[in-house]
Amino acid sequence: MNAIAFLLGLLVLAYVGSILVGGRAIRGFGLASGAEYLVLGFVLGPQVLSVVGRSIVESFQPILLVGVSWLGLLLGVSYLRVGQRVVPVRRVLLGILLSAGVSACVSAAVFFGASSFSSLPRVEVIAFAAVAGIVCSETTRHSVRWVVERHGAKGPLADLAADTSRASALFAALSLSIVNAWLPGAALPAFSVLGRVCVSLGLGVVLGLTSVLLLGREFRRDESWGILLGASLLATGAAARLNLSPISATFAMGLTLAIVSRHRLDIKAMITPTEKPVILPVVLLAGAYVNVKLPTALLLLVAIALVVKLCARVSFGALLAATFPAVGNSGSEFGLSMLSSGALGLSVALAFAVRHPGQVSDSVLLLAAFGVLIGEWLGPAALRRALTREGEIKPEQPPLPPAPTNLESSA
Amino acid sequence: MSGHGSPKKTLSTRAIQLLSLLVIFGVLYGVTRVAPELETHLGTVAAIGFMLLAGTLMSELLETIGLPHLSGYLLAGIVGGPHVLHLVDHHTVGELSPVNTLALSLIALAGGAELRIETLRSVARGLAWATLLQSTVVLVCVAGVFLSISGYLPFTHGLGIKPLIGVSLLWGVLAVSRSPSACMGILSQTRAKGPVATFSLAFIMLSDVVVVILVAAMMMLARPLITNSGSVSLDDFTVLGHEILSSIAVGVTLGLGLAIYLRLVGRQLLLVLLAIGFGLSDTFSYIGVDSLLAFLSAGFVVTNLSDQGPKLLHSIEQTGSVVFVVFFATAGADLDIPLLRQMGPVAVALCASRTLFTIIAGRISSRVADDPAILKRWAWSSLVSQAGLALGLSLVIAKAFPGFGPGFRSLAIAAVAINEMIGPVLFKFALDRAGETDRHEPEARPSLAPPPAS
Repeated sequence: MNAIAFLLGLLVLAYVGSILVGGRAIRGFGLASGAEYLVLGFVLGPQVLSVVGRSIVESFQPILLVGVSWLGLLLGVSYLRVGQRVVPVRRVLLGILLSAGVSACVSAAVFFGASSFSSLPRVEVIAFAAVAGIVCSETTRHSVRWVVERHGAKGPLADLAADTSRASALFAALSLSIVNAWLPGAALPAFSVLGRVCVSLGLGVVLGLTSVLLLGREFRRDESWGILLGASLLATGAAARLNLSPISATFAMGLTLAIVSRHRLDIKAMITPTEKPVILPVVLLAGAYVNVKLPTALLLLVAIALVVKLCARVSFGALLAATFPAVGNSGSEFGLSMLSSGALGLSVALAFAVRHPGQVSDSVLLLAAFGVLIGEWLGPAALRRALTREGEIKPEQPPLPPAPTNLESSA
Repeated sequence: MSGHGSPKKTLSTRAIQLLSLLVIFGVLYGVTRVAPELETHLGTVAAIGFMLLAGTLMSELLETIGLPHLSGYLLAGIVGGPHVLHLVDHHTVGELSPVNTLALSLIALAGGAELRIETLRSVARGLAWATLLQSTVVLVCVAGVFLSISGYLPFTHGLGIKPLIGVSLLWGVLAVSRSPSACMGILSQTRAKGPVATFSLAFIMLSDVVVVILVAAMMMLARPLITNSGSVSLDDFTVLGHEILSSIAVGVTLGLGLAIYLRLVGRQLLLVLLAIGFGLSDTFSYIGVDSLLAFLSAGFVVTNLSDQGPKLLHSIEQTGSVVFVVFFATAGADLDIPLLRQMGPVAVALCASRTLFTIIAGRISSRVADDPAILKRWAWSSLVSQAGLALGLSLVIAKAFPGFGPGFRSLAIAAVAINEMIGPVLFKFALDRAGETDRHEPEARPSLAPPPAS
């Protein structure tokens, strides 16, 4: 397959994605995290059928980077709101804490595991542990939305799930900026790691503020597209050129827009429909990037990370049940439901693969891919059970008996 | 491209735009100085963002002195390009060629969609005379000027009179080519409506076909003169005829398909246009179809054989608002400023003579065709711009005649650069003077009301 045919394939996928969020969408159609496209990418990719060769996948690196950065912008713009409801600060902090907790557990396990039975250099061990933690810290909000929309759930637990999953993005964006700034090869050698982190986030903030100024008093949709697209591409390209984190830069830009711009709701309404059309090609490309031919030690570390993530999620769920009345008796189910991961985790892994190619980044991508599949398997079902138990999903009514026909009624 | 006649911008708005422009230049300047080594492909992403923002802002600022937006895009590209600040390097400009492909396909589609049969009928007589006179007078006279100043051109030294006449004819045919992209760019910005806009669009889109035929004819005539051997062969025309017919056939099919899609589905046109622009352009080139002509025919079919023309034009305008800025800014970055400086005097003389003969031919053809007074005065104004088509033709000529080809192409690049900068300014000036530009404010609305606190 040549590059143009592959590009057309991605555009078709984006088209499918746009239909899924369009006015005539079948709500909840497909899997919550888009795992089917991940598998499709893997099957088409160099590991299985080789319909899409490694060189083509690599030639799409800029598009991939733009895609994951655009997702960063989307996450930033919509970070503080679920629909039009503002996420309370307490919930934001809770979401960040949960993500940090899971991330710390996974990172610690990977670090000790890698130090014990792998021959990786120290830098690689730390990078692996850090990014594995970041990848596992996300809970995809799509999974929560999928369950809520499909089953019409409404109540404090559904809100808690939506709020904490949305809040988890900040930890990933911030942590990735630290890792990228710390990794060898970053520009600005005279700066400390903190200085480089400030530069990557500052890029986003400066371009976000510039966009706010340019969007002006009145909102003009066509002009706004040019400004937002231009600023996000500049942030992405500049951060990538400095070997810093493009996702973090665009996330900071989105968050700046969400906080400062008077058009924050317009911007959110304008760019949210682009999410699915961007996610599906990115997930497919991620699938094509996945490399399973790794040393046993690394595969074992991936497995350890997944097990620790599962345990940490369940434990934190139980802890939440003890402290949050909304969780009620569904702590472990709620914890399991937070296993669902999706585009952000994959984006972090892909961005890391672009920044620091090698077996470690391949392992992280494999971890992210398995995280998506396992989360897809366990997450939505667990959330459904938790919501049903807490009475936020009405049990399905038995079918009504058929209405009597005129003949029967007359009889 | 943002529409013309944005609401009255206050001094503070202009100050904010200037400040933002400085920030954008500053960001990329800082990044390129800190990390001068470019990672493959990654520079392209920043370059697109930079050109989009800087081009838009520069166009807004130049609007205050009456210059068209297109000049702003070009200037942003020139200043940020490899010859001035070097924020965008040669490699990146090359990497942006897919954007050019997309932009050209959108321009051709929109150009075709703007051509209504009834409009063409109304200007048919004027078009016929203009095509005839512009193609002959300009070709012959500019060739004559080229011949007379050929002593100042290093690449013609040592050529006898017959080869010189051949080279001059090739230059003459290059002078006949116009710029559909510049014409569409100005019309899109100004939303001009009127005889000058209609005539310009129709003439330039049709002249694309005429120029392709003329180039084939002139190469056929010039070859025996330049090489002093061989004879005139009609084989080139057979190939050309096949190409033109197949391009129209493919374009009509595409147009019918687009019209059906627009009527039955009509959604996600951005993705459809991207797929057409990227996918079909390459496919057309692979099967030997002229993509510009094919897209032109497709747009023409959508407008004239269905009622979906306005929908197609609206979608192209939305997509083009981003793509055209990058396209023209890239063209600016691609301008070879040192070459322009080196070949400046000769190129200026050739450009001035081309403009002069274009005006003369325009006046004569309007008089003969008995065009309205406004056309007699301004019909020539859109014909000065040159861009990608002329450069493409110069490349074809340079490849066909490697002896003088490189020098010929360099001169062509310098001349096109001048025409590219001056032409749009003249066309916008003419549209303004003819009273055809739209000064209505674009649609704006207050922001969404904040939701009640939860």
